[in-house]
Amino acid sequence: MESCGRSATPPGLEGVALCRRCPVGSNSAIPPGHHSQDLQASLQRPEIKLESLKEDIKEYFKISGWEKKLQNAVYSELSVFPSPSHPAAPPEHLKEPLVYMRKAQGSWEKRILKSLNSMCTELSIPLARKRPVGEQKELLNKWNEMGTDEPDLSLFRPVYAPKDFLEVLINLRNPNYENGDSLSFRTHLGLIQVPLKVKDIPELKEFFVELGLTTGQLGIDDSTQVPPELFENEHVRIGQKVLAEQDSAAAQQYIRQGSPTALRAELWALILNISSQPEDILYYEQLKTNVIQHDLLVDSLIYKDVKLTASNDDYYFVFEDYLYQVLLCFSRDTSVLGHFAYNSASPPKSYIRGKLGLEEYAVFYPPNGVIPFHGFSMYVAPLCFLYHEPSKLYQIFREMYVRFFFRLHSISSHPSGIVSLCLLFETLLQTYLPQLFYHLREIGAQPLRISFKWMVRAFSGYLATDQLLLLWDRILGYNSLEILAVLAAAVFAFRAVNLMEVTSLAAAEAVLADLSTLKVMPLLQIFLFATVT
Amino acid sequence: MAGKVKWVTDIEKSVLINNFEKRGWVQVTENEDWNFYWMSVQTIRNVFSVETGYRLSDDQIVNHFPNHYELTRKDLMVKNIKRYRKELEKEGSPLAEKDENGKYLYLDFVPVTYMLPADYNLFVEEFRKSPSSTWIMKPCGKAQGKGIFLINKLSQIKKWSRDSKTSSFVSQSTKEAYVISLYINNPLLIGGRKFDLRLYVLVSTYRPLRCYMYKLGFCRFCTVKYTPSTSELDNMFVHLTNVAIQKHGEDYNHIHGGKWTVNNLRLYLESTRGKEVTSKLFDEIHWIIVQSLKAVAVNASPSLTSSTANDRILKYNLINDTLNIAVPNGEIPDCKWNKSPPKEVLGNYEILYDEELAQGDGADRELRSRPGQSLGPKGGRSRDSGRTVLTTWK
Repeated sequence: MESCGRSATPPGLEGVALCRRCPVGSNSAIPPGHHSQDLQASLQRPEIKLESLKEDIKEYFKISGWEKKLQNAVYSELSVFPSPSHPAAPPEHLKEPLVYMRKAQGSWEKRILKSLNSMCTELSIPLARKRPVGEQKELLNKWNEMGTDEPDLSLFRPVYAPKDFLEVLINLRNPNYENGDSLSFRTHLGLIQVPLKVKDIPELKEFFVELGLTTGQLGIDDSTQVPPELFENEHVRIGQKVLAEQDSAAAQQYIRQGSPTALRAELWALILNISSQPEDILYYEQLKTNVIQHDLLVDSLIYKDVKLTASNDDYYFVFEDYLYQVLLCFSRDTSVLGHFAYNSASPPKSYIRGKLGLEEYAVFYPPNGVIPFHGFSMYVAPLCFLYHEPSKLYQIFREMYVRFFFRLHSISSHPSGIVSLCLLFETLLQTYLPQLFYHLREIGAQPLRISFKWMVRAFSGYLATDQLLLLWDRILGYNSLEILAVLAAAVFAFRAVNLMEVTSLAAAEAVLADLSTLKVMPLLQIFLFATVT
Repeated sequence: MAGKVKWVTDIEKSVLINNFEKRGWVQVTENEDWNFYWMSVQTIRNVFSVETGYRLSDDQIVNHFPNHYELTRKDLMVKNIKRYRKELEKEGSPLAEKDENGKYLYLDFVPVTYMLPADYNLFVEEFRKSPSSTWIMKPCGKAQGKGIFLINKLSQIKKWSRDSKTSSFVSQSTKEAYVISLYINNPLLIGGRKFDLRLYVLVSTYRPLRCYMYKLGFCRFCTVKYTPSTSELDNMFVHLTNVAIQKHGEDYNHIHGGKWTVNNLRLYLESTRGKEVTSKLFDEIHWIIVQSLKAVAVNASPSLTSSTANDRILKYNLINDTLNIAVPNGEIPDCKWNKSPPKEVLGNYEILYDEELAQGDGADRELRSRPGQSLGPKGGRSRDSGRTVLTTWK
């Protein structure tokens, strides 16, 4: 473009944020050189005339497929950023508009960091240390089988477990909200006591309209008793077409009815706007090098978590080694810091020794700002069923995290945030299954105490893999985690008869201990569309 | 008590006994009148040996066919398959068709195998053709991975050479008989590990052949990552998947025992490799099973020892479904029974092959339909048994 004397941004495209995370080699699916060379080179073709530059460029984009790619990229950005707000709102509002929520998140973070630091001091292990060359070589050799390593992890404990986090949420209060002491039919009897707006069933039916009784679903209408000509074959055909078009938005709409197993890996990549470019692979290799060169304290936490959770899982134990390869790199990936712009959480900050308070010596710890907790590795495990190339697996996981999973363990008022999900779950139960809800409360078995762990993990490790993937299809399709709360309520509804007979929390836990035989789509459909309310 | 099935067993396993008791069957001893005898391998051998001349009466059922060892023993299995193939060739059956290199198109499912010491010289000739290959030695009469080892040098099996100085024709006792097969060193790996398939097949009659496949088969994984490197040939944890071997590895995990259900495997393969390839794979597995049965062979004793809680449940249900098919409605067995059991009693079994049904539909029954090569009609999608059709051939 220099030859035309114009600025680098092609006209008509001003204001479009092309890349949320800028460093070269980030996961943006915009093809190589989107900032410069390639695009500029192609724009210097003879067909493009100076007089009709704008039109020619648009035309060229359309034919070459760049338009589609740009659309997908923009669509991807829109998925995470909230709708435009007041121009005078400060950046914290993008993270979290409500002050009391921000404060609560802040103090929770302080607690976590304190816990991490004290573990560090107790065990006299530095937060980070450079590996001696011998150790580096050894790790490189063992890269594909880190699972066989048996470091002594007995002294490490997870920084926190979901139930610790639940206690914090239970104690959340909005100081501006006066409930009054008198109980009324409006009184919320669950554990969450903040007034957030959540959808009721009529609104959910509208939101999840494609899950209705008259629309075909994978997970229901592909069962063995249903002839495939009725729905499945056509659905597969459409899926292939969507993939051929490479349209993110269409894929997202399509996947609301579930994804055929053979197309799922590609569809998810399309929706998440991931394509494995050489620079992405290079970036992953760079992260791997960081892992080899430096040892982080959080690495031990990751090891411990994998050994405690995924290694013992019937389905995921096979992929143990992949989990290390993904999570150790994830901890070192500074591009993840970008998502804190819209996450209520903030990355823990630490200072180089002796330079406390001096901003030039501040570092984020871990480098990606995310401290893993007990069960964290279960976010990655199901993805191993779809992707076996490490850098692609990595990219997909990272995108899933910065789009969805982070909301499950930070305190915010977002409709897909864990607080809203908990409130949604409890409200659904109290409103539509009042007898069950009261009974469980009476015996000291607040339902949220049981369902919380399911939602924090997005049901990973609780459902059979094929069912989990069908569920995550819908998370992607609706760009929302609310379905987790609806499913949790649907599970309680399904087992209501047995639950009505229990007389203790332990017994209630036992009734709900094994979800591995559940079929999620029928449960959801019945709860939303076939229950008389 | 007239009408109650009388059972005997010489294998004291809860998964068996619980199943008998829940049906209200009556336990008796082997000297009394019995209807159903779940026998150990040794007992079968004794009962059906030529010397005893024992005959089952019309109302008695046992859990193994008298010739089960035709497949239990590896050398007999290989002999049977080789003989079966030759027979088909002689008949001019299209199944026995070969390609330009002399390889069977449809019956090539056993790697190059020789019996030792009987075929030693033949083996040496083959070995010399590709001296860098690895071969696997398996003792004929053992199970659970016992006595198996890998070799890549002739010197490692000098013992079996027939030219050994002991004598020119030594009839080796069956204890020392081995089969040696070409080792497949590029197996499909999942999570970098080798795995095998444990599938349960019930054969209720041989003529006509009626067999059922249990839907809940499973895969057994090695605890250690696979490497074809020759330095690891001695490391049995890399190469053998039997639970008995893996159980003693350092990494063996007692909660799950390194197993996946076959459905899981299917999900993984469909997700990562696509539906066509996966369906073809399972088709071919089922084909191999049926052909092997036709060549007459059935493994004698699946392990009834349960290694994990899940495992115990699986085997209990397996025996339950097995008994439902073998002794329908809990009636006293009658050798004149010949009907196929109704779909409801199948439980987790699926019809793998029913010769009567296959023949009943006329047309070339043994022809196989492969994509791009239609040799015959596709196996019917029988609406009654649901959509799961195990095979695309009859």
